[in-house]
Formats: sequence, C-alpha cells, structure tokens
Amino acid sequence: MNPRFLIASLAALALLGGCAKEKTSYGDAKGVETLTNQFGSTDLQMMAESMARSMLTAPVIVSANLPIVTVQEVRNKTSEYIDTRGITDSIRSELQKGGKVRFAVDQAAMNQQVEELKRQQNSGLYDKESAAEMGRMVGAQYRLEGNIMSIVKQVKDSKDVYYKLNLQLWNIRNGLLEWSDEKEIRKTTTRG
Amino acid sequence: MKHTGLILVVALSLLAAGCASKKGFEQPGYAFGCPIGEAKVSSMDDLVKVKTVSEGRRTTIQATELRCTKTGDLMKIDANLNNDSRSVKRIAYKFRWIDREGMRAADEESWKPLMLYENSNMVINTISPSNKAADFRLILRSEE
Repeated sequence: MNPRFLIASLAALALLGGCAKEKTSYGDAKGVETLTNQFGSTDLQMMAESMARSMLTAPVIVSANLPIVTVQEVRNKTSEYIDTRGITDSIRSELQKGGKVRFAVDQAAMNQQVEELKRQQNSGLYDKESAAEMGRMVGAQYRLEGNIMSIVKQVKDSKDVYYKLNLQLWNIRNGLLEWSDEKEIRKTTTRG
Repeated sequence: MKHTGLILVVALSLLAAGCASKKGFEQPGYAFGCPIGEAKVSSMDDLVKVKTVSEGRRTTIQATELRCTKTGDLMKIDANLNNDSRSVKRIAYKFRWIDREGMRAADEESWKPLMLYENSNMVINTISPSNKAADFRLILRSEE
C-alpha cells in the first residue's frame, strides 16, 4: 500500500473518531441538575424563587407603597466558591417581577452611577436641561442582606452537603429587622 | 290562618337558604379558595384533577389536596402530596402561572426536586410571583 495513502487514511480516521466523541445539545436551563453535589443552578433558582416569594408577602412590603430597597451581596460562608452576586441578582430579578418593591443603586453599582452622573454634568456633551442632576438620587428605606453557609460531611463512599441561605430585610432608618427567612437544601452523593 | 301562612313562608325561606349555602362553593369560579374558571368542580378530587398536570416521566406520587388563599393581592397555595408506596420516591415539581386572559403570567418556574419518604405525605407551598397570576397548574414529574 502507498505509505502516503495509509497516512492520509489514518489521519482521516483519527479526525472522524475525534468528531464522533463530541456531541452538543441544548438542555433545560430550569431542569434539575445533579451532575455533582456542589452548589448548582437548581440550588440557585430554588433559593432565589423561595426567598423572593416569601419577601413579597412580608407585612412591611405588603403595607408599604413600593418601598425602596438596596441589595447587599450575599456573604459566602461555605467551603466552596459560589458566585454570590448571581444569587443576589436572581433574588432582585424575582422581586422586581413581583412589582412590589423598587431598588436603589447598590454599593457594587455606585461607581458606575456616579461616573454616569459626572459624565452628564461635567463633560459638556449633554444638554443641561435633560442631563441628570447631581443630588437627586433616592436613598433606600430598606437593606437586604444575607449569608449562605454549608455543612459538608464525607465518609468513604458518601458525601452529604447541607446549604442554608438566610436573608434579612433591615429598616435603614431605625435599624429594625423587618423580615427574615431561610431556605435549606440537602444533597447526598453516594458512589458505587 | 294568617299566622300559620307566615310561619310556613318563613320556614320555607330558611330551608331554601340552608340548601343554597350547602350547594356549590363560597364564591363562583372558586373551589377551596382556588380559581377554577368554568370547570365543574364539586369535590377535592375534581379540583386536584383540574389543577394537576403530569409532564415528562410519570410519577406515582399524587396530589391529594389543594387549598388556596389570598395574601394581599397574591395567591398562596398549599398542596398535599402523597406517597402511598413502600419506597422512597423522588420527584420534581413546579407551578405554572396563568393570567386572566389565559396567557402565561410569569416565566416558567424552575423544577424543584423533592424527596418523599415511603407511606408519607408532604405539603408543598408557594406564593404567586405577582398579582398578574390569576390561575395555576401544579406540574409533577418523576426524577427516578
């Protein structure tokens, strides 16, 4: 057999073999994800939904007329890396859809807010009448903060993870705790 | 004679009122506090059939009771799920929210995994995502 033909055939086979191994498909973003027992999309979605729904029925939210809330990042007290900004953003989106609260700019977005105000006021590019004025921002009445913690137990073939998200809504003016709730999740992985 | 007639009329009125209150439910279009629209619901079983949907893999877990109430302008729902088998069952559930025009009132919820011990009941509860949600369906699937 021609050696060139042999090499070309082998290369083609290797390429085909490589291609055959990979398969990509779209999945259900809201489906139950149990690939590992680390914090996952199902945990994030369940926690955000449960907490937001609970907060929407808090007396302080029901009785007030669109109270203004600022959201502080959830503190990660677990032993793994969790993008807590994702939890905060999901909770805020759920609450926003509920239409019962308004949100004031939070600490994380304050720099961009101030920069935009300065740009409109000081760059000389904007019509003075339509430019956003300094000193017109509205302060929040309530502060939403929380923690996520975990307890991990592992023996030879079994790993148990318990997550708890605790959220609190504080009245900024008088420092009173107006609402608090928890969501717990337990996941167990066994090998064999 | 006049008195006898009057007593008879009053007694018949009371009887009619008593019968009327036993028929149907407290509010038209509602059963056990849950919105039913035009559906004919005369028992808890009927309500569960109207409100529960199975999607994906079928589960033997069944909703046995549904109760709804209002908290402010939001709907609060309690659903009792029953596992009458002799083994632990794993399911996922979600609620689908419908507005007054029959359109989706909110984005599709995420599936929520749930474990039920053998021969046990569990009450799941939820609150509607906004006051646009006027009706709902409880959707169940097996996770085994």
